[in-house]
Amino acid sequence: MKSDRILRYLAPILLFILLPLFLQGNQYYLHIFIICGINVILASSLRAITTTGQVSLGHGGFMCIGAYTSAVLTMKFGFPVYGAFFMGGLVAIAVAAAIAYPITRVKTVYFAMLTLFLGIVIMLIALEWRDMTGGSYGILDIPPLGTISIPGLFTIDFSTKFPHCYFILFLALLILLFLYRIERSYLGMTLKSIAQDEFLAASIGTNVANFKAIIFCVGCFCAGLAGSFYAHYNSVLTPGTFDIFSSIYIIVHVIVGGGKKFSGAIIGALVLTVVPEIFRVVKEFQPFVFVGVLFLVIFFLPEGLAGLPERVRAEIKRISKGRAQNNA
Amino acid sequence: MDALLQSIVNGFVIGWIYVLVALGLTIVFSIMRIVQFAHGEIYMLGAFIVYYLSVVLGINVFIAFVIAAIVLGLVGIALERFFFRRFRGQVESSIIVAVGLILLLQTIVVVSFGSQDKWIPSVVTEIITVGNIRLPWERASAVLIGIILTLALFLFIQKTKSGQAMVAVAQDLEGAALQGINVDRISALSMAIGCALAAVAGALMGAIFTVSPSMGGFAMANGIAVIILGGLGSVAGAVIGGLILGFIAGIVPLYASTHVASIVGFVLIILILIIRPRGLLGRD
Amino acid sequence: MLETRGLTKNFGGLRAINDINLTVTAGEILGIIGPNGAGKTTLFNLITGFLQPTGGEVLFEGKNIAGNKPHTIAELGVARTFQLDRIFHDFTVLQNVVVASRLHAGIGFWEAIFNTSGYRRKHVNTWDYALKILQFIGLDDKKDELARNLAHGHQKMLGMAIALAANPKLLLLDEPFAGMNPRELDAALELVRAIRAGGKSIMLIEHNMRAVMNVCDRIVVLNFGTEVARGSPEKVRQNTDVIQCYLGVGKRAA
Repeated sequence: MKSDRILRYLAPILLFILLPLFLQGNQYYLHIFIICGINVILASSLRAITTTGQVSLGHGGFMCIGAYTSAVLTMKFGFPVYGAFFMGGLVAIAVAAAIAYPITRVKTVYFAMLTLFLGIVIMLIALEWRDMTGGSYGILDIPPLGTISIPGLFTIDFSTKFPHCYFILFLALLILLFLYRIERSYLGMTLKSIAQDEFLAASIGTNVANFKAIIFCVGCFCAGLAGSFYAHYNSVLTPGTFDIFSSIYIIVHVIVGGGKKFSGAIIGALVLTVVPEIFRVVKEFQPFVFVGVLFLVIFFLPEGLAGLPERVRAEIKRISKGRAQNNA
Repeated sequence: MDALLQSIVNGFVIGWIYVLVALGLTIVFSIMRIVQFAHGEIYMLGAFIVYYLSVVLGINVFIAFVIAAIVLGLVGIALERFFFRRFRGQVESSIIVAVGLILLLQTIVVVSFGSQDKWIPSVVTEIITVGNIRLPWERASAVLIGIILTLALFLFIQKTKSGQAMVAVAQDLEGAALQGINVDRISALSMAIGCALAAVAGALMGAIFTVSPSMGGFAMANGIAVIILGGLGSVAGAVIGGLILGFIAGIVPLYASTHVASIVGFVLIILILIIRPRGLLGRD
Repeated sequence: MLETRGLTKNFGGLRAINDINLTVTAGEILGIIGPNGAGKTTLFNLITGFLQPTGGEVLFEGKNIAGNKPHTIAELGVARTFQLDRIFHDFTVLQNVVVASRLHAGIGFWEAIFNTSGYRRKHVNTWDYALKILQFIGLDDKKDELARNLAHGHQKMLGMAIALAANPKLLLLDEPFAGMNPRELDAALELVRAIRAGGKSIMLIEHNMRAVMNVCDRIVVLNFGTEVARGSPEKVRQNTDVIQCYLGVGKRAA
């Protein structure tokens, strides 16, 4: 039932809308909320790219492009902050579009390696292009997202973390809505058909090259926007943030959450951002927690965390069937 | 001109270390068919074990090398047995396993040794000088070790039964099994050899430059780059690919910087993947 | 409807298809037969854009389609099945056909994103259309089964349904009757005739002689990429060259 589904989604959305209010006093929790928002955008946009079977291991590179574009435009060229913010996404998609057709032609395995090196190259360019990016020292004092004011009604001042929560929440919801519409419509079906059999898809009229290239660009656009936001939120940018690991973590979020379902990327990003933070007291051993979650999932839940409800249901069914047989 | 020759020599040295990493990688990839992204960490552990044995415990450096190779060969066998075998063929899961291992190993090292760079002191400090070209014996011996190991591997593959079995498994898993080859034993052997080579490469790199917990990532990226350039499964390809990338890494910094050298190298790899993915001498 | 002129394909030094000139008239069922390796599937690949010809033309409704991409040719009205059945394994049977119906539905990008009423209407139509095709093929009772779980024979039928859903004017079937028992074969032959009755032209590759003789209006025989004979089933059956090329298969190794 459609209204059923809307209710199911409305509940968590409301939860997230109310959450920052509860976390208000604690700067640290607000920060985690915001990082979750960024990671959800990154993971979901990467997952969208993977629906055609292409695994991009360079997603962090496009976040890097967005971040530096927005920062540089704001600081070196005096762009208005919101213009620069959007330009971050635009430059990311422009770069993606420039290379999309040649690289999406390539077989899956090679595409993965190719994007891995692409991400590395982008980070190296950020390191090397010192005039623009400040090299390894990075860019400091990036202005925050200014103020939004509707005279007489309200003024939102982005000098604290709290408004950033709602900004990223709003951005994430917008992006997720867009990606969700793609997923549920015939577009999503076509993309998945490409993942299963490109030749068959082509034989029924699907322009495989177009679809692969376009979804790649869409995904990179979202990563660029996430980068833009990060630049203005963090106010400091260094190339080291966008190394191989940044890209690999994003794909880990998708895989652990479960790439098959739309919610998988979201769940993976949320769990893998929040759970290690719960153990932040043992800072040095934090990676062990992360690794623990990883191994738990792949050893026991190969379909990812999003598959948990089905698994639990199947196990309950199995157990109750067993019990019924024993009682018979 | 001298600077150019010097950098060619430097490039040659770097190249052979890349070759060693790539050889280990190509064996692990093509014979075991697993995505062992954590191979760079084996390389890093090689450096740390040699560091620990020679600097902290005072054991002779050469013996430390041998011990490191053996230990990591065994570690590799254990990893394959308990982690990778389960997920053979499952790409996504093996990526997770590899990422998990990378984090695990790096964290263990950082917790045990701290994250500062370390040095393995030189055993021989003499420098060969030809004209204005300087080549420290240390680096020259690294090249010698690299060449010797490559030749040894090549001969092993060509001349021994086990080596031939490795080739068979790399080309056709089922066919090899049907011929009576013990695929599990060959996998273990391959992993051992691959990891031992990585350990030596890491220790050499650590001796020439520095030892740090994060040195694995760079090695891995370059190792994969060499394999792509030279072609998966090809020893000769690994040599050629390693030397080409080594020369780029040696010469480009003369005119630009080390970062630009890496950029040039990796852009080359991206182009290869688009135009001729199987590399110069690859078969798959 | 379809005409090939001087169609040729070389793979390096090997000439796989040599100067093929054939026609398919509207509403006919043309059979392509020949020993293994004669180039029949290569011919299909050339017509449907999966391979580029080395020389010659492929004219569909008067326009040369040679060299086009497969999806363009599909849009023009040529659909095909594959020798090694291709289906979308992770989709249900119904979803398989729906995805193929996209061409027929003509849905745009933005109306899908915004879920406009126009899109929703087309969406419903597409699913109805897909269901009708499944009913026509006889798979509608399995519509919610995962395609990977179907029996081999049913997967073949699904392949045909997918091609049909793309609403082609010309349908190319690559060994549609392979591995069928006589009962299945009769049903399949009926189906092919029904498709033709629905106004489509058909070109099919087959090894099953009983099927070919039964359902084809005309036959073209290929061997070594060259045409050996053509004509009505009766004529071709009695042609000595044709018999020879089948009997001579064993000696070909020399």
